[in-house]
Amino acid sequence: MLVLFVALAACGKPAEAPPPWKLIDASTLRAMMASDKELLVFNTMSEIECLDHRIPGTKCLACEEIENDVTLLPADKDRVIVFYCESAGCYRSCRGAGAAVKAGYKQVHVLDRGMPAWKQSGYAMESIERIPRGSIQSVRASALKQMIAERKDLLLVDLRSEQSYREGHIEGAVNFPLYRLSRSYAKIPLDRILVLIDDQGFRTFLAGSYLEMKGYQVLRLFGGMQAWQEMQAKKQ
Amino acid sequence: MEGLKGMNIATGRHWSHLFSGALVLLAASAVLCLPVTAPAAQDCRFCHDEPLYRVDFNHSIHAGNGCTSCHVGITDIEKHRDGKEKPAPVNCGSCHEKIAKEYLSNFHYIQEDFRCSDCHRNIHAIRKNENKNVKLAIIEKCTECHGNEDYTASGHGEAVQKGNQDAAACSDCHGHHDTQVFHTSLEQYPAEAREFYTQKCKRCHADSAMMTRNNLSDKMVAYYEGTYHGKVQELGYPAPVAGCGDCHTKHNILPKEDPRSSIHPDNLETNCGRCHTGFHARFLSYQAHPDYTDRAKYPALYVTFLFMGALLVGTLAFFWVHTILWWRKVYWEHDRMEREGIVPPSAVATGEGLEQIERFSVKYRIMHVLLVLSFFTLVLTGFPLKYAGTEWAQAITRLWGGAHMSGLFHRGAAFILIVGMAYVSLESVRFLFPRGEGKKGWLGRLLGPDSLFPNLKDLQDFKGMIRWFFNKGEPPKFDRWTYWEKFDFLAVFWGMFAIGGSGILLWKPEWSSYLVPGWVMNIAALVHSEEALLAALFIFTIHFFNTHFIPNKFPMDRLIFTGTYRLEELKEQRPLEYERLMTEGRLESMKRGHPSIPLKLISATFGLGSLLLGLFLTVAILWSILFG
Repeated sequence: MLVLFVALAACGKPAEAPPPWKLIDASTLRAMMASDKELLVFNTMSEIECLDHRIPGTKCLACEEIENDVTLLPADKDRVIVFYCESAGCYRSCRGAGAAVKAGYKQVHVLDRGMPAWKQSGYAMESIERIPRGSIQSVRASALKQMIAERKDLLLVDLRSEQSYREGHIEGAVNFPLYRLSRSYAKIPLDRILVLIDDQGFRTFLAGSYLEMKGYQVLRLFGGMQAWQEMQAKKQ
Repeated sequence: MEGLKGMNIATGRHWSHLFSGALVLLAASAVLCLPVTAPAAQDCRFCHDEPLYRVDFNHSIHAGNGCTSCHVGITDIEKHRDGKEKPAPVNCGSCHEKIAKEYLSNFHYIQEDFRCSDCHRNIHAIRKNENKNVKLAIIEKCTECHGNEDYTASGHGEAVQKGNQDAAACSDCHGHHDTQVFHTSLEQYPAEAREFYTQKCKRCHADSAMMTRNNLSDKMVAYYEGTYHGKVQELGYPAPVAGCGDCHTKHNILPKEDPRSSIHPDNLETNCGRCHTGFHARFLSYQAHPDYTDRAKYPALYVTFLFMGALLVGTLAFFWVHTILWWRKVYWEHDRMEREGIVPPSAVATGEGLEQIERFSVKYRIMHVLLVLSFFTLVLTGFPLKYAGTEWAQAITRLWGGAHMSGLFHRGAAFILIVGMAYVSLESVRFLFPRGEGKKGWLGRLLGPDSLFPNLKDLQDFKGMIRWFFNKGEPPKFDRWTYWEKFDFLAVFWGMFAIGGSGILLWKPEWSSYLVPGWVMNIAALVHSEEALLAALFIFTIHFFNTHFIPNKFPMDRLIFTGTYRLEELKEQRPLEYERLMTEGRLESMKRGHPSIPLKLISATFGLGSLLLGLFLTVAILWSILFG
């Protein structure tokens, strides 16, 4: 009976299929970079974020850019390439890695748990164009809804990718994807209060600080589109 | 430490705003935070001549350090002036080492890459101010971005603003330089976050001195820890149960009299409804911080607490004394026989005396094994919850595969026990009203020698045993069931009424709320827990000793597993039953073959294993009661 209990308790979940790239941890990446000065390591965040802080000696190449034009990667498909991004979930680095694998690159690596893991290991970062952090207030989805109804001076700026924007956005929002915001921000009017919207609310702070530096007045949507959609779902 | 270099104040192109003409300085002494000679700073100010550096910095807390303590790496002032030599990024961690270490796990660093100067913006003018309200300053700083109206409306925020230094500011719960990375909005670390914040609440709310001077009860934490929520949390499985913030919310923490409070009666349904579904409004009268000893506030709980306490102490005290007296008598008697060379008749039985007589049929033996297994499963899954704070409880729960699995096994074992008890009840009815005879003679059967119901002879036997314990007479002659065996049997019935009844209510408390109000769950939890303690201690310290560890049975009596014993033992232990069997001519039909070696081996292994496990649990339980 005890054996049966133990066997029941030990039931595991079925294993997931391994990804088509190699996951490496922060110490491995550091050792690889030390032994190979030519190692190609790509930060897949937007240019704004990457120039603000990145792993020293790495290159900025947003995953949307790779997906749009894979020739931005080196021609030699046997070269070792490493992708990393800001989140522990590695969503963006995996998108970059996925595009590279699809294009035939054979030695694709992803930094496991991304930049957070690198930082938590105590390794240094570098800043090329550091953005002074602003005091950017966030508004909750319900409060934003009320503000949209009451105020005329707001401009909703959707920082998500073109595709995400096409799939659904808050009415009246304009799309300025974060990955090319450094090139396109000048088109945003200066006389409005911007409300920045991203997927989950993690990326609007730095983008907001950037725009504040450029002279804009900025608010951010707490929890991003996810929070907005959850609020909408609850109301229904 | 490389990571400390990550704490830059001014980096990249911004450095140049700060300096454009410094002398060659001793970089090494600067790294070691040694005060740099005044001329060096003067030289820097030759170019960096803003009032901030000329005036404010001289009054700041860092004034003694000089410019190059932080802005290291200038070896040639000419090159620096020409823009060819830049100072290295400022590394605050070279002096503030402890903070720098903590900061490596800070959410703002991990997620937004905040550096020291992003919060400590006026670093060149920072002054030491003994009278500064640090908590208020922290709140002002955090709310620059986190404009949390919930917090400023909460009891804590209001108290801080009124100058109460005990009340929690942002950093008291979220950490200061070690603000944790809990994406609670994404439910990524629900267990860690709940555990982290619950511990933060407990740290202050269990502090007697702090609570007393703020007119709050310091017992609220202890009362919470006495409930199911608190115990599962303490056991190390905070994810599936309510921590402080789940009911009191994260920021809007207000007294229950305030209509905005999550625990205001009008808001309770929504509040409890975040985790519990499908309950009746009565459910809401459950007390999350019950005080069993508060007669005025919780009279029903108080009475139950007294009753269960008295029952526990009374039953155990009575039977412990009984067992000790009995054990003493048997041991002394054994010693006397040993000295006089007397051997008990069952030990030298010959002929018919060696023959095996059945006492328990296969059916009852299997039922006892099931009872043992389900009982141990219940104890091994239930008691870790009762003594959740102990190492042994946490180790046992890990063996089960966590609190959730443990709970499933608990319910599974309870189901087996309930089915068993239902079957015994049916058997009892059949015994009283056998087929064909109906009600006729039921009272005689109820009080007869084959019944497990107590009768007058039991009282006489009890008196006889006491006299025998004190060497005042011969031991009484027993029939099929002794009075302590009847007590064991009926105690299980009472136990099932108390533990089983309360357990069924607690099984699915939301459904139970359609039968009884929520405060009955508090009583059920108390009864369940205390009756379980009584049952476990009774079995492990009384039943085990009466039946197995008594010197003439030690280390165990295998009878319940093999089912038979010698005729001579029957004569010795239950002479009246033997006489009845002889008179009624049933003895022959009770004779069985000698138990097989495998059966004896299995019986001994299972029996001794159970006894040892019981003893281990007794030590663990008593240890937890006395020192836990």
